[in-house]
Amino acid sequence: MNYLLPERLERLAREYALGTLAGPARRRFERVLRQTPAAVRAVGAWQERLGGLAATVPLMQPRDSVWRALEQRLFASARVAPRGALQWLWGVLSVRALGGVLAGALLCVALLRFQPGLIGLEPQSDVLPQSYVGLLTDSAGRPTVLASSKRHGRLMTVKLLQPVAIPEGSVAQLWALPKDGSAAFPVGVVPGSGTATVALADTSEKLFYDVSRLAVSIEAAPAKAGDKPSGDFVLSGHCVKLW
Amino acid sequence: MLSNEDLAALLSRVALGDRAAFEQVYRASCAHLLGVAFRILNNRERAEEVLQEAFMSVWYSAGGFDASVAGPMTWLINIVRNKAIDALRSGKTERASTLALDEEAMAVAADATQQPQALLERSLEKLRITGCMGELGAPQRQALALAYYRGMVHTEIAETLGAPLGTVKAWVRRGLDKLKDCLEAAGVRQDSLA
Repeated sequence: MNYLLPERLERLAREYALGTLAGPARRRFERVLRQTPAAVRAVGAWQERLGGLAATVPLMQPRDSVWRALEQRLFASARVAPRGALQWLWGVLSVRALGGVLAGALLCVALLRFQPGLIGLEPQSDVLPQSYVGLLTDSAGRPTVLASSKRHGRLMTVKLLQPVAIPEGSVAQLWALPKDGSAAFPVGVVPGSGTATVALADTSEKLFYDVSRLAVSIEAAPAKAGDKPSGDFVLSGHCVKLW
Repeated sequence: MLSNEDLAALLSRVALGDRAAFEQVYRASCAHLLGVAFRILNNRERAEEVLQEAFMSVWYSAGGFDASVAGPMTWLINIVRNKAIDALRSGKTERASTLALDEEAMAVAADATQQPQALLERSLEKLRITGCMGELGAPQRQALALAYYRGMVHTEIAETLGAPLGTVKAWVRRGLDKLKDCLEAAGVRQDSLA
């Protein structure tokens, strides 16, 4: 379907903004939105028009727990949970019980050391999680960036296998290139060396389902949704599903 | 109440990972956004879950906010409405077999001023386009109100209003066309909508 015919785009944009576009058609149009600035603008205009209808909706104060849960999910230190769990364990176990647990643990270790298939975990420990992975090479074909993200995750880990020269005041912008040849969309900014975690705009599954390649260009500023690469790609490679 | 400019500036700081700005955006908009989600889901707990999910998206995708496409409040409302609509549609089966015991939902149902059509009429007054939109028939305005405030699709509106599907599609289409014309005729600036 050609989504760019003005009349069709206008019809889909207003139905999407109102919410009456449903099911697979809604999902398909969301993919178009990620790649087509004209569609983003058409939807934006309708959202503005409809936005006026939200002004009279009575206010409703969320409970404090909503903000606390949000903070916990977004900013909780990774170390807090295990430490809390350990303290709980110490509180529950008496010295005698601990002796029993240790003996049990030793028995498990001994059994699994010689019979790892007993609990059926042997093959799974070798299996990588379902992920999207990209290996980007430079113009000379040298592997330069390894990008990976769990299928339903919202974070991408980027590892630089060799440093990339990024001019002062510029950024190395990572792009996703859909397999149908439609416009590349921005994923995030990668560092010149080391590793980094890039927060994704959506889950990998939604973003990369139709993506066949990843590429990096040098940009003056981080790209926003709807932007296009300003120049040639300095790195590129396939984006594959790891399952 | 923050102005659109303040809110846009805060969102640009959120895009850079500024937690204090993120909390300010939340505090300034959460009551309005929860109201929007609650109209669609009719259940406080589910609406609060949606609000939380929406703000996760705000944190991760504030860089995608583009003031030239839509105002900041419109952008936030859009995130919340889309999440609420997704939650509404994915939870249909679950709710069909569950008795709703949410007291607030009961109170809203009993209060006619909170019904979709009343909300629409008050919005049209506020936008000063009541006269212009009055050229539409009542069922056309009602169809628009059910779609916007309740997140209903055409088939659900047809069922609620007891009208044929094709007619309802035409009502919604005409309602939207009229809204666009009336806003343009009234010279409502997009920025002042949020």
